[in-house]
Amino acid sequence: MEKRGSVDGSSPPEWLLVELQGEVITRHNSGLAGNVMGDLLYTKEGVPVLIVGHHILYGKQVKLEKPFAVLTKHSSHSQDSLGSHDNSVITQVPMETNQQGPTSTSYSVSALIKRKLIFKTRPKPIITNVPKKV
Amino acid sequence: MRTLEEVRATLEIAKLKEEDLQKTIHCLSFGDNVSSADYCLMELDDTLCKHIEAGQSLVIRGDKDERAVLCSGDNTYDLKIADTSNLLLFVPGCRTPDQLTNSQDSSHVAHTQIWGFCNSYWELRKHRPKLKKLKKILMENPYEGPAIRGQEENTENRYTMEDLLERIQASEEEIKTHLETIHACQIDGYWRVLDFDYEMKLLGHVTQLVDSESWSFNKVPLQNSLEELAPLEPKEMIEHCLNCYGKRYNENDKVFYALHEDKVCRGVALMLLQNAVKFNLREFQEVWQQSVPEGMSTRLDQLKSVALVDRTSRPETICLLRVEDLPEDTLERFNHLFTLREKWTEDDITPYIQDLCGEKQTTGALLTKYARSSMQNGIKVFNSRRPVAT
Repeated sequence: MEKRGSVDGSSPPEWLLVELQGEVITRHNSGLAGNVMGDLLYTKEGVPVLIVGHHILYGKQVKLEKPFAVLTKHSSHSQDSLGSHDNSVITQVPMETNQQGPTSTSYSVSALIKRKLIFKTRPKPIITNVPKKV
Repeated sequence: MRTLEEVRATLEIAKLKEEDLQKTIHCLSFGDNVSSADYCLMELDDTLCKHIEAGQSLVIRGDKDERAVLCSGDNTYDLKIADTSNLLLFVPGCRTPDQLTNSQDSSHVAHTQIWGFCNSYWELRKHRPKLKKLKKILMENPYEGPAIRGQEENTENRYTMEDLLERIQASEEEIKTHLETIHACQIDGYWRVLDFDYEMKLLGHVTQLVDSESWSFNKVPLQNSLEELAPLEPKEMIEHCLNCYGKRYNENDKVFYALHEDKVCRGVALMLLQNAVKFNLREFQEVWQQSVPEGMSTRLDQLKSVALVDRTSRPETICLLRVEDLPEDTLERFNHLFTLREKWTEDDITPYIQDLCGEKQTTGALLTKYARSSMQNGIKVFNSRRPVAT
């Protein structure tokens, strides 16, 4: 669910960043969309714990020194469509091109990220002796 | 979608006790958008973040040969891709412990989608704006004065502020400040830089008038000046000249200008130095002092970054060397300077590298990075780090 930043709705929502070492490997070749990644839990003390496949990772919550903006690219549109966005728009202006007609790329700021959960410790494998029937 | 039972089973295998955990468990899965290439991450500084939170927009400028820069209202930033060996996931609906209400009695699953991920992001570095091009394009058609009757005025290569914003990698504020520095003015809605001889002609009219009327150069009346000089030049140009070389103020409902001694002396020196490659220093200083308005004093330090004195030659000489004519790229600038002169003292070279300093950078740091120092006759001098043909 999106969070509205300020009353006039012009500030983009704030999202959370989750930082992991290494790549996420999927078993399927069909791509990632729709796939489960893992479970994220917090201990009573607030330590984030991530269970991914057969690995368990312990992390911590950190405030970013430099916030991030998530930019979504838009193919070039007429100027009137920009007015309907309530998020900041970043326009890429080509300089002195020989192309016919205006071709500017615009980005909107989909979200701001000011905090992250970082999982740096080496994942501990979850050892099972007997697979549990679910 | 994973159920609570499945999650509990995982917890058991992982040997985590439910009572040690907070009640909300986020089950993360990848959303539909993750595989599209239409998003990216950009690092911000505090200023930009506030800018974006206020709903203001930003512009990225650049063409094929120039790297991309981001321009906000009054700053310019270089954009550079930074790779990280880590994976960065953006999760919109994910809450941190401080945001969880923990009001429920039992554990529950919150299905949360990962909107996107990446392992690189755009890094921003606040940059000195690339303004050299501004003077260059305005010099395509410098203003030489009103068109003489019968002659057509050259209307090609004229630029409005909008034109300039499109072509120059800098913010509007930076461009406006630089236009003032190069004494540009708006004529018929176009920004024009004055032809040097024409600018000197205007200055000459003003200084001669000040001398002939015996006015103090700190109190030059605008109205009288415009009236006296109107037969010679357009009033707007006279006033523009006064704005460039003096400070405007009001006294008893009249407008006056206090001519800036350093600017006037520097202008006169430039006019003299243009005419030859090198001058005998002593002769130059005599002519220079005689050429400036009564009451003004010339000093060599007024010429920092526009002229170079050679104290090692006999006789000592001075020549025109303007920092704005030098390469904009840092390495190229140093190479050029060391080609002109093998060894530089810090005092001599500093005016020619001052504009290269980025945010929080000093000329000392630049010299350490781009030059090698040694002692010569008890004075510290700098030379090139690499062999340079002089």
